[in-house]
Amino acid sequence: MTYDVCIVGTGAGASGVAHKLVEAGMNVVMLERGGFYKEEDFSKDEIAYCKREIVTPSFEDAYHTIESLRNGKWTKKSTRDTESTYFNGNIVGGSSNFMSGYFHRMKPKDFKLKSTYGPIEGANVIDWVSDYNEFEPYFEEVERLVGVSGEITHFKYHEPRSTKNFPYPALDEHPISTKIDDACKKLGYVPYKTPRAILSKAKGERSDCYYSNYCGSYGCSSGAKGSSRASLLQPMLKKKNFNIITHAFVKKLIEQKGKVVEALYVDTKTKEEKNVQAKLFIVAGQAVESSRLLLNSKSKTFPNGLANNTGQVGKNLLFSGGGIGSGQFDENSMALKELMKEGLFVNRSLCDWYFYEEDGKEVKGGIVDFLFEHANPMTKATKQRFENGKVLWGKELQDKIYHKLNKTKQLNFEIFNDWLPTDNCFVSVDEKYKDAYGVPVANIRTGAHERDVEVGRFLAKKAENVLKEMGAKDINSSISSAPPPNLQAGGCRFGDDPKTSVLNKYCQAHEVGNLFVTDGSFMPTGGSVTYTWTIYANSFRVGDYIVQNQKVWL
Amino acid sequence: MPSRKTITRRVFIASAVLAGTALALLPQGAKTAIKIDLFKTLEAVQEVLFPRGLAAPSAIEFGATAYLANVSTHSSFLASDLRFLKHGAQELMNEYNNFLTLNPQEQDETLREFVNEHEVGENWVSFVLYFTIEALLSDPIYGGNKNESGWRWLNHKAGLPQPKVPYAQNLKGEVI
Repeated sequence: MTYDVCIVGTGAGASGVAHKLVEAGMNVVMLERGGFYKEEDFSKDEIAYCKREIVTPSFEDAYHTIESLRNGKWTKKSTRDTESTYFNGNIVGGSSNFMSGYFHRMKPKDFKLKSTYGPIEGANVIDWVSDYNEFEPYFEEVERLVGVSGEITHFKYHEPRSTKNFPYPALDEHPISTKIDDACKKLGYVPYKTPRAILSKAKGERSDCYYSNYCGSYGCSSGAKGSSRASLLQPMLKKKNFNIITHAFVKKLIEQKGKVVEALYVDTKTKEEKNVQAKLFIVAGQAVESSRLLLNSKSKTFPNGLANNTGQVGKNLLFSGGGIGSGQFDENSMALKELMKEGLFVNRSLCDWYFYEEDGKEVKGGIVDFLFEHANPMTKATKQRFENGKVLWGKELQDKIYHKLNKTKQLNFEIFNDWLPTDNCFVSVDEKYKDAYGVPVANIRTGAHERDVEVGRFLAKKAENVLKEMGAKDINSSISSAPPPNLQAGGCRFGDDPKTSVLNKYCQAHEVGNLFVTDGSFMPTGGSVTYTWTIYANSFRVGDYIVQNQKVWL
Repeated sequence: MPSRKTITRRVFIASAVLAGTALALLPQGAKTAIKIDLFKTLEAVQEVLFPRGLAAPSAIEFGATAYLANVSTHSSFLASDLRFLKHGAQELMNEYNNFLTLNPQEQDETLREFVNEHEVGENWVSFVLYFTIEALLSDPIYGGNKNESGWRWLNHKAGLPQPKVPYAQNLKGEVI
């Protein structure tokens, strides 16, 4: 049979568009590399989810090669050797199952960085071909359908909203949040209440949050977290015009006469090669893997990869600038009983420096999110086995572990600022490096612009000031140009000019009329926020466009 | 994941030694001198690293070695990690072939010497400790944390739901 639409991937970028097309009656199939976990399959198993990363492909199956700058030379290393992974959750719903769900909207100026702030030397900053006004209704739709909880904090850079409040009230907060508020007030900072993609009230089949204390890195057992699986895909499973094929690793899209006609995939359980025919194809496998698929889909018409005759596929890949920091709290700062309360959220951010002044001129900044160190006891305890760089054991170690887990709490902050697009951050493929299925793996060059670190350091100081004011001990921060592998965007920019972009305004490939890319790949710049909200919103936006124009393809 | 993922799959070496992987620490063509029983050696070492305390269970009591014997057979346990565990145990026994017959205090002193003087000493001990702590605090279905002794000692409340099957399989024990 020939489907109307075949979607590669099942994460946020794949599912927004799937939702729109299925609702409009189109016959849709999704191809997912991994399996289908439902609420009852998830548990708080630190070994499975955090230590052995069961939900990412094994290194035998798949890997990446990473190029980083060492002594002035780009040096390539396989993740098989570094044992770090750039896969972020290969199951139905993708990495949205495992996110923490810190949801900030992009700001209007984020859509026009170049015309607002001018060019930055060494960076390929451009304006988006869309604007905040076009995205706003879709940000709002995400709030309702995926579910965003919180309370509006007014501050000078707040983006315009078409609705007054979030559809779900704020989640319950830990007593430390009040301490952050007090510290911010003393410092003249605005304590911004962090919106979360977590339900504080039940919605349909999804239960409300049960404050398990193990949220980020874990699948949600109540359906409260706004994964694309719980919020968009599971509610559609009974529909006859919707189908998800699991354990389907797509090797190649087959092109004929300028159109994609078939997705060639391997069933990772049986190792059999299979295919799916459709009239319209949508790629959304997370930025790195989406570019890889296009680059590996070579044909006579597209010798350098599908939709890549101008050589733009894989270029201007984005991660997120910034870094992390922390401070320690104990009974001196707060009654131990209060401090050690589990499961409640911190939900505070600093957004005052989303834009800030430098040398009399406004520049682009970013945000700070506060959160407790994850509850994972193994991760906390194993870190205790060194003291001044020396390994520790016996009673000394036992006392240290006991103290860490019973008498202290670590408040972390995470900084997010723009990862400027540059010529040194891209995805490519190389026939020399192949995965278990004979497909070239993605090579990722991870160069960062020096400005990213400067902005990150500026923001870290503000976060440190809050921790100091709160009386935290051992305050430190680590800002670097190391890419966070889970925050990916770019690689298939959208734009009006086919020479400098892969996709048009609606994320349709300039060179291939029945091909769309709807994960974070389209973003020329990503904003100083985690990308999931933007990805969901854009996916809904593209979905509406396809539904309105469906006659073109069907 | 934290919204910013910084922790890679494996972090087991002193941060000062950014060697990265166990594989990188394995010398080429390491020679084997005496035949050792890996898990007997590990059991003795783990009991020194994690002895019984006033409230703390000892490594043997919470099943540290049983845990390793179990998890090291699963496909998710990196082959290079197992090789490094074996390599260090072999080096220890090559240097101190009477290690298993020493009393606990002598074993402790021997391990400190091994850490100070042998090139793999510190990394190997920190590596064994890494898995000892996994055994202390992982769900008992993996063979460690016997009778939840690790959790009870540390007043730890397990996250709910606890796993009913290991390695995120389905309830029938199949890979999802």
